[in-house]
Amino acid sequence: MRISRTENTIRNIAAVGVVAFFLIPLIWLFTTAFKLQRDLFTLPPVWLGFEPTLRHFNFALTQTQVLRFVVNSVIISAGTTILAVVLGTLGGYAVARSRLRFVSASSYFFLVLLMIPPVAMLVPFYLIMRDLGLLGTYWAVIILDTCYNAPFVVWLMSNYFRTLPQEMEEAALVDGASHFQSFLRVTLPVAVPGIIASALYCIIFSWNDFIFALLLTSPATKTVPLSIMGQLSTSQSAWGTMAALSVFAVLPVLLIALLLNRYFVQGLTAGATKG
Amino acid sequence: MAPIVSTSSPALSTPARKQRRPNPRERTNVAMLAPVLIFVLVIALAPLVFSFAISLTDYRLTDPTQAKPFVGLGNYVKAFQDKAVTDTLVNTLVFVIGAVVSQVVLGLALAVLMSAETRFMRTLRSLAILPLALPPLIVGLIWRALYNVQIGPIPFYLKQLGVDVGRGLLGEVNTAMLAVLFIDLWQWTPLLMIIFLAGIKSLPGEIHEAAYVDGASRWQAFTRITLPLLMPVIFIGVLLRTMNAFKIFDIIFVTTGGGPGNATSVLNYHIYKVGLTFFDMGYAAALANILLFMIGVCCAIYILLLQRQRARSGDS
Repeated sequence: MRISRTENTIRNIAAVGVVAFFLIPLIWLFTTAFKLQRDLFTLPPVWLGFEPTLRHFNFALTQTQVLRFVVNSVIISAGTTILAVVLGTLGGYAVARSRLRFVSASSYFFLVLLMIPPVAMLVPFYLIMRDLGLLGTYWAVIILDTCYNAPFVVWLMSNYFRTLPQEMEEAALVDGASHFQSFLRVTLPVAVPGIIASALYCIIFSWNDFIFALLLTSPATKTVPLSIMGQLSTSQSAWGTMAALSVFAVLPVLLIALLLNRYFVQGLTAGATKG
Repeated sequence: MAPIVSTSSPALSTPARKQRRPNPRERTNVAMLAPVLIFVLVIALAPLVFSFAISLTDYRLTDPTQAKPFVGLGNYVKAFQDKAVTDTLVNTLVFVIGAVVSQVVLGLALAVLMSAETRFMRTLRSLAILPLALPPLIVGLIWRALYNVQIGPIPFYLKQLGVDVGRGLLGEVNTAMLAVLFIDLWQWTPLLMIIFLAGIKSLPGEIHEAAYVDGASRWQAFTRITLPLLMPVIFIGVLLRTMNAFKIFDIIFVTTGGGPGNATSVLNYHIYKVGLTFFDMGYAAALANILLFMIGVCCAIYILLLQRQRARSGDS
């Protein structure tokens, strides 16, 4: 290679610096969650080497119903992901395989939908949900989240299906299987990596959502991010509690990004690489 | 390969469009597309049509009579005379352009810096993209604390360097937008980095070797070969980030609330304030449609570029 050893070292050091920049705010969050009140606001800031405490987690678990909000977040994420992945995978397969122009061109329509800003939908959607009596239910949020996620899954999965060889499907058809059977038995099993990438994207999108939940949930159905906003308005000194609650909000998505890194990256770059 | 495909599947070789009745395969395809298509048509388009209808009325949720007088294009005319709206439009453009340009440049630099396929670099890359997974609301919250004038580390270190931070970076009219842009840069630069990395990896290596043999410097090889070849991917990155930058909400909601004054109020946030805190639904719907139109223009450009790129790469 043309890259010399010293240059390699310099690159590695620079890259470590870059990663530090991206990690420091996260480290701040995690350390704050374990700091005693007196260590929270000391200046110069104590980054490490403070006496750790579980007080804030204790408070979050006993005084804020955080587990309730986690359950709400899980219900909304799971509902959205299942609905979006099922609808999107079926649609994505049709888009990838159909020779009918309106079917294959519908992928552009789905792309357009992704670009609609949430607020443009929210005002009318809020009124419609209110009139249907669905405000404050899980369904209101799941439906709107799915509306943003299913088109993305169509896009991702249609690109994924196009990369799969069609010979096996053809063979299944010759053996007397219907088009749908060959999709179900032959194509779907090999498309699992794409489905995982789609599902992770949907989980992260709906888990991280704030604006839809802000307007469409009730106190009984509110999600983790909303519970943190609740703390923000109560008092200025609640940073420890907020940090502990934030750990509940970020831990699942961080674990996904770290442990399922390959699929996570695939889901994120799907819109760009095979565009 | 071609003959095998055509014997086993006549549908692929004869243009199906010419057939009057779709064959069973195409009927299955239509049936598989129908659920998602119907779902989004009902859920997305119904509100948008409804939104257009209410944008033509003076509809206030706070009005006890709930009369919705028809005002025609009055809300749209009002929007262009409203100083708060023109301010937020300018802010939106400043934010979108600032975010996209800074993140594309930095993302490209990081992609080149971190492209080595060593185990160490791969680990660093998987750590660098962690901000992408975080809820934007929490990101805003973290930075709100980091920027906090009394307790935050950033003003503390800036003061040590002799910088006058005033009411804090988020609290001063001159720096608030920059501070918000910096948060956005922190969260989204890694996305461009991994998109550009995927692009760099897909380039053929021999071209560079040939250039070096011809005596090109590395900078020349980068600007004359890598960059032009990477252009399609860069375009996609720019447009993806543009679409998303128009939608920024959570970070502004939690850090500045659009302030100080209107310094960081972007259109997306302003619509929320008008519609769902002032409950002036008709006006909010009109503003939302203006935003939709702006994004629609970007969207049209995006699809045109996409089609051209697909045509060039020979993909259907």
